Amino acid sequence: MGATATDPTGGRLPRRRFLAALAGFSIVSMAALVVTPIVGFLVPPRTSGGAAGGKVLVGKVADIPPGEGKVVPVGSKPTIVVNTAQGMKAYSAICTHLGCIVTYDSGSAAIVCPCHDGRFNPTTGAVESGPPPTGLTPEEVTVEGDEIFVVSA
Amino acid sequence: MTAGAPPTDATPMGGQPSGGQPADDWFERRLHWRGLMGALLHVRVPAESKTFFFGGITLFLFGVQVVTGTLLALYYKPTPAAAYDSVLFLTSDVSFGWLIRSVHHWGANLMIVFLVLHLLRVFFQAAYKFPRELTWVVGVGLLGLTMVFGFTGYLLPWDQRAYWATVVGTEIAGGVPIIGDTLLVLLRGGADVTEATLSRFFGIHVLVVPLALGMIVAVHLVFVHQQGLASPQVPDPRPPAVPTGRTKPFFPDYLLEEVIAWLFLLAILVVLASIFPAGLEEEANPLETPAHIKPEWYFLGVYELLKHVPRIVGILAPMVFVLLLLVLPFIDRNPEVRPRRRPLAIVLGILGIAVMVGLTIWGYVS
Repeated sequence: MGATATDPTGGRLPRRRFLAALAGFSIVSMAALVVTPIVGFLVPPRTSGGAAGGKVLVGKVADIPPGEGKVVPVGSKPTIVVNTAQGMKAYSAICTHLGCIVTYDSGSAAIVCPCHDGRFNPTTGAVESGPPPTGLTPEEVTVEGDEIFVVSA
Repeated sequence: MTAGAPPTDATPMGGQPSGGQPADDWFERRLHWRGLMGALLHVRVPAESKTFFFGGITLFLFGVQVVTGTLLALYYKPTPAAAYDSVLFLTSDVSFGWLIRSVHHWGANLMIVFLVLHLLRVFFQAAYKFPRELTWVVGVGLLGLTMVFGFTGYLLPWDQRAYWATVVGTEIAGGVPIIGDTLLVLLRGGADVTEATLSRFFGIHVLVVPLALGMIVAVHLVFVHQQGLASPQVPDPRPPAVPTGRTKPFFPDYLLEEVIAWLFLLAILVVLASIFPAGLEEEANPLETPAHIKPEWYFLGVYELLKHVPRIVGILAPMVFVLLLLVLPFIDRNPEVRPRRRPLAIVLGILGIAVMVGLTIWGYVS
C-alpha cells in the first residue's frame, strides 16, 4: 500500500486511520469476550477440601519403637513421626527440595528423601547433606498414655 | 524447491523491507511462504456462486466444538460413578461452565443443521457433478462422522436420556444383518451399556472422531481448492478449462464475507446457550426406562420410522439412503446444472426432504 501524498483532511484524523482504529478495537474487544470465559473456566473453583485442623491421633507408641520412624497422614498432609533419644519428634514429610515424601532410615539414623538423596537430622529436622535448601518443617507432637497425637495447624 | 543459489536476504540489513510488511518479509526470507499463501488465498471464485457460507460455517462450528470440547474434557470424568456429578459440577460450580457446555450443546446441533444445509445447497446447485464427485463422497463421509460425534457425545452426561438413547441406538446397530451381534458387542464393549460403553464412547468422541474428521475435512478442502467453486449456471467444461465467467477474489472478498458469517454464528451460539442452556435429566438408571423417551431431533425421523415398519426395514432403510447419497454423483449422469433442466433430480430431492422432515415432525409431536 502506498501512502497518500497529501492529507486532504488538513490535520484531522483521516477516515482510513479512524476505520482501522475502530476495526482494531472491535477485534481486540471480541477476542477479549471469547478469551474471558475460557480463562474463567480454566481457573478451578474453590473446593472445601481443607483439613479441619486440631489434634489428630496418628498411632500408638508401640507402632514406633525407639530408633524407628513412620510416615502418617494428618488430614491430607503426610507427616513423619520419629521416636528419637530426645523423645517423639514430628515433621512435615514433604521434602523441601522438590516435594517427594521422606522416609526414616534406621540404618543411618537419618530422615532420607528417596528422590535426590537429601538427608535430614531426625532430632532437629535440619539438613545434614544433599540438595534440600532448608530443614523439614517441625510439627507439634504429643504422647498421651500410649497414643501419639500430631497437632495440625 | 528452487535449486542453486543459497538463500540471501533480498534487502540490505537495516534498510526498508522490500514490498510488504516487515513480518511478511521476515517469514518470506525463511519459509518462502508468499508462493504458498498466494496459492492458498489468491484464487478466484465465480461471481455467481452462492454458497451461503454453509460449508464454512460448519467448519467454524467444528472449531467451536474442538475448543469447548477440550475445555469440558478438563473437568469431565468418564466413569458411570462420576460422570453425572462431574457434569453437574462443571455446569453449576465452574465459572462460565454453563456457557461452555451450552455452547458445545448448541454448536453440535447447529453443526448438523448447517452440514445438512450445505449438502442440500450442493445438491440443488448440482455441485456434486463432474469434476467434484470425490468431494461429494468425502463430504458424505463427514456427515457420517458428525452423526457419530452426536451419538457418542450424547451418552457422556450419563443421564436418563443419554443412557436410554444409547441402549436403543446400539440395539439398532445390533439389528444389522450378519454383523449385528458383533457390532453390538463392539460398540457397547460387552452385552450391555456399562462403564465399558462409556469409556469407548468417550475415547471415540474425544480422540477418534475429531482426528478423523479433521483429516477428512483437510482432504475435502484440498479438493475444493483444487477444483474451485462450481458455477450454479454453467456445467464445468470437459476437458477441464480455466473458467471464463465473471469471478471475484477469494481473498479478501469472499473470506471477509465468510468471517462475518462466522461472527454472526458465534453471536447466535451465545444467545441460544444463554436463553436455552443445555439441560441435564436425572442420573442414568439401568433399571428404569422413563416414559415418552425420545432421541435427539436428528434421529427422530429414524425413531418414528422404527415405530411403523418391521424392525429390519427401519434399520436398513437409513443405511440404504446413506449409501444412495454416497454414490449419487455416479448415478446422476445428467451433466446439466440448472434446476429446470434436471427435473427428476429436483423432484426426488424435494420428495426426500419432505419424507425426512415429515417423519421428524411426526416423531416430535407423537
